Amino acid sequence: MTMSETLRAPAAPAAAAQPPTPGQILRRRILGHWSLMGGLAVLGLILLLAVLAPFVAPDDPYRQDLMERLVPPVWNAEGSWAHPLGTDHLGRDYLSRLLYGARVSLLIGFAAALGSGVIGTTLGVCAGYFRGRVDMVVTFLVTVRLSTPVVLVALAVVALFGGSLEVVILVLSALLWDRFAIVMRTSTIQATSQDYVLAAQAVGCSVPRIIFGEILPNVLNNLIIVATLEMAHAILLEAALSFLGLGVQPPLPSWGLMVAEGRSNLFFEPWLIAIPGVALFLLVLAINLVGDGVRDVTAPDGRT
Amino acid sequence: MSHALRAAAAAATAILLSFAAPVPASAGKADDTLNIAWAGELPTLDRYFNVLREGELVARMVFDSLLTVDPQTFDYKPLLASSYRFVDNRTIEFELRRDVRFHDGEPFDADDVVYTLNLMADPATRVLSRQNVDWIEKVEKIDTHMVRLTMKAPTPLALEYLSGPLLIYPRDYYSKVGSQGMGLRPVGTGPYKVTAFDPGKRIVFEANRAYFDGSPKGRPTIGRIVQRTIPDQNTQIAELLSGGVDWIWNVPNDQAAKLASMPNVVVQNAQTMRFGYLAFDASNRTGHSSPVNDVRVRQAIAHSIDRKTIVKRLVRGASEVIDAVCFPTQFGCVQDVATYDYDPVKAKALLAEAGYPNGLDIEFHAYRDRPVAEAMIGYMKAVGINAKLTYLQYEALRDKVYNGETDFTFMSWGSYSINDAAASVSQFFKGSKDDYARDPQVIGWLEGADSAIDPATRKDLYGKALRRIAEQAYWQPLFTYNVNYVHSKDIAFTPTADEIPRFYAVTWK
Amino acid sequence: MLAYSLKRLLLAVLVAVTVSVGSFALLRAAGDPAVAMAGHSATASDIEFIRETYGFNRPLPVQYADWLVKALQGDFGESLYFRMPVSRMLADKLPTTMTLGGLALAFALCVGLPLGIIAAIRPNSWIDRTALLISVTGQAMPTFWFALVLVVLFSITFPLLPPSGSGTWKHFVMPTVVLGYYATPAIMRLTRAGMLEVLASDYIRTARAKGLHPAVVLLKHALRNAVIPVVSLSAVQFGFMLGGSVVVETVFALHGTGQLAWESISRSDLPTVQAIVLVLSSFYVVLSLIADLLNAWLDPRIRVA
Repeated sequence: MTMSETLRAPAAPAAAAQPPTPGQILRRRILGHWSLMGGLAVLGLILLLAVLAPFVAPDDPYRQDLMERLVPPVWNAEGSWAHPLGTDHLGRDYLSRLLYGARVSLLIGFAAALGSGVIGTTLGVCAGYFRGRVDMVVTFLVTVRLSTPVVLVALAVVALFGGSLEVVILVLSALLWDRFAIVMRTSTIQATSQDYVLAAQAVGCSVPRIIFGEILPNVLNNLIIVATLEMAHAILLEAALSFLGLGVQPPLPSWGLMVAEGRSNLFFEPWLIAIPGVALFLLVLAINLVGDGVRDVTAPDGRT
Repeated sequence: MSHALRAAAAAATAILLSFAAPVPASAGKADDTLNIAWAGELPTLDRYFNVLREGELVARMVFDSLLTVDPQTFDYKPLLASSYRFVDNRTIEFELRRDVRFHDGEPFDADDVVYTLNLMADPATRVLSRQNVDWIEKVEKIDTHMVRLTMKAPTPLALEYLSGPLLIYPRDYYSKVGSQGMGLRPVGTGPYKVTAFDPGKRIVFEANRAYFDGSPKGRPTIGRIVQRTIPDQNTQIAELLSGGVDWIWNVPNDQAAKLASMPNVVVQNAQTMRFGYLAFDASNRTGHSSPVNDVRVRQAIAHSIDRKTIVKRLVRGASEVIDAVCFPTQFGCVQDVATYDYDPVKAKALLAEAGYPNGLDIEFHAYRDRPVAEAMIGYMKAVGINAKLTYLQYEALRDKVYNGETDFTFMSWGSYSINDAAASVSQFFKGSKDDYARDPQVIGWLEGADSAIDPATRKDLYGKALRRIAEQAYWQPLFTYNVNYVHSKDIAFTPTADEIPRFYAVTWK
Repeated sequence: MLAYSLKRLLLAVLVAVTVSVGSFALLRAAGDPAVAMAGHSATASDIEFIRETYGFNRPLPVQYADWLVKALQGDFGESLYFRMPVSRMLADKLPTTMTLGGLALAFALCVGLPLGIIAAIRPNSWIDRTALLISVTGQAMPTFWFALVLVVLFSITFPLLPPSGSGTWKHFVMPTVVLGYYATPAIMRLTRAGMLEVLASDYIRTARAKGLHPAVVLLKHALRNAVIPVVSLSAVQFGFMLGGSVVVETVFALHGTGQLAWESISRSDLPTVQAIVLVLSSFYVVLSLIADLLNAWLDPRIRVA
């Protein structure tokens, strides 16, 4: 969807006037880029909380207590510090589920971005480096992939094989690689015409050596940008699958699943959907800000 | 800007957290239209070819059967018949009403009864619920308003079937348009006729002003009833609160409790004949051995779940815990069977005894009441049983069950609202494709009970079967269900225990 | 142009064929169609009869060819659940989804284009920042969450709009906003990027230097060029929205193809799922073909590529 704009991010760093080295410029740009810093901070915080979940969570996220159902959060009149964010419809501590849920949502995002990244980058780099027939085949595959209605196919596959963390990750990986392929193809074509690649080819370096040693490091920034987009995309898609009852299965707490489970109480216990909804929103927002930021600081003239 | 972001996030939370209490608007009373909504999608309105509960609600509005059951007293009353008598224990004669016409104007007579019942009983017609018809040997016309029905064997449930599922169709119309035509444009004798049907979307009913006097169903008073399919529960509630619909049902208890305090909303909770149960593959029908093949594991699962607390805190309403695999008011549903109280220690001991001291993993299927399924998973987890849930729609899960592919399922059963154990325990333990116990002893007892006419003999045989089932924990019965009917204050609606809302009896207030 | 068009057309046909193979495989991967069609009370001879009648005993490629020929004539078989022709159900549900998709695209364009243009004219201004905020918010908000919040706000707290159904224009307001908002960021960003690029180009500078009115420069020269990529993106977005409206249709009880597909998937009604996947994919293929040809026509440089 937004492939054309990501394509526009040129790979070459700016040739600045004199004293500061490109590294210094980059560092200054990163530090001065408030939304990148903000995104990194939020993402880092969520990541930290997810990793430390067993230590910071006040309770076992799976321990249910039907006598303590739907306790409101602490800022509500009936809330208490025993359950700072209240409890869900089975009396499980909502804060603990939120913390453990961060693990599941992040895992889905990372794994799906990694899986689709491997597929897409392999195809894209091959297409861009070898051109000709390979390029035609890859372009054809990308077009086929783009013509497939993602949500419907994901739903159908999950329904066929049953919803589980593994199936969801595999399905998302198999469906979200298109943008990687497109961007990596274009970036590789650009990089291949650069002098250092031509030099490496001239001295007879092996193809894997050129791809891994020369091309990949130079298209890394575009790779990161696409990876953030797809990570956010995967997290939202999992939430949509969960909403339709075909995502990860309970009692595993993913944020999407928490929103889906809380929605039946939408009208009267709105915090059940507001809390994981806001968490999900912040996570995806942070990931997108990081992606945008990376594009900005690696682009020649600031944000374009 | 980070400020703006924070403000936006806070605003989003605030919107959800602090909206004012909704005030329902009045709905369709002014134009004499009752708007109702439910979640099910009816594929066809030919009741012999759909099995959804909603299909029964429609069938009762559009069609009539020979007899009917009084929903309060469970007495049989003549409906399309004016009277009936048992000639012997295999033969019934019906005198038919002479003042009844189908919606297309064709008069109702013996030909319609003979045609419909013989056609549906013919195995080649392949109606979906065979047990409703396969006891009929033949139906003959004696004269224009008299028919004789002969059973294959004495059938205790004969009158029950004749008062519910065995609807009478118009011979001329059905033989012309077939099930497809009937499914789209049904023609019956009932108090409402269907004037529009978009499958899976909308049904419009118009009062049948020519409905015969003296029907126990009464004459319809509301001019028009419009049914819409709304899949999402929240959307249904939103429609009710904003006045878009007047009647919804199956509202979860948490929401029902809150809705009850709204000014223009009435919430009625009623127990239903439906009960929930856990079914185990005791006889290894799947062919891949599973821990639940072992009776001790089944008993451990039964002991691990606190059904009392689930009922008290989660299912609530008029529900109660049950131990026998039938609805307590059903004939033959004895209660002196083995019970499995909540006892995690004993559950762990049983698991260890069965060779699973460190717990076990098992596939678990369910199709409704996800919170209850999750609560049970939570209880099982506490004793070391990791139940991996696969949540499917009813049709998909039913197919899996029929094909012998499930080890462990959480299901429910409404007994077709028949107040007799023949419609519950016999449905599942007589060797049919539902039967995962395949216990020859139980099958023998149930075959005897279902064909005996003497009530004492029947009761004795059902008791034997139910005790054996409980002892072996082939199933773990859980609780009876309750239903919340939520509707506008403008209508008078009376829920019944058989879980069949009678829209033809609804009136404006 | 002709050579390019032919090449592009060939690709479209190839893609369509591949997708149809995939969608045919989907049905067969799920099990024996004869068993599914026969239903629950079927005997072995019933199943055999169906297998013979419908030709399920023939080699798979023959069956595929047969299915494809029928599908091209609009015959997608019969729904296992509704027992009626799938094509009739599609004819019933497609208009709803198309209406929704069209309205959502219109909404996204109405919001995305002006915001993108203004953001490009005044980069790093507060308008640009707001536009960016709208765009990141749109990308980060789960669709169903946004939909439910709107229902609470505009159907209950302020009862202005009906929460579900498709009877009047009012019914389409919330679904349009929800689905359209999701597509807005991409359109806005692309417009902004395109405008920035065009505004920095030589001929705009020349036009300005000649003393043309800024508005004329902007609307007559810059916009026309910047909008080219947005045209193709719009076509693509429309295709995405047709396939991505499942959640929106479910929340607002819209009874379009998305909801039908979802219900059919959970009911294992595979002929219906298969037909919907095929039809939506074909839509996408045709739309992107049109978009590419349109682009090539607008921008001659592409034809050479």
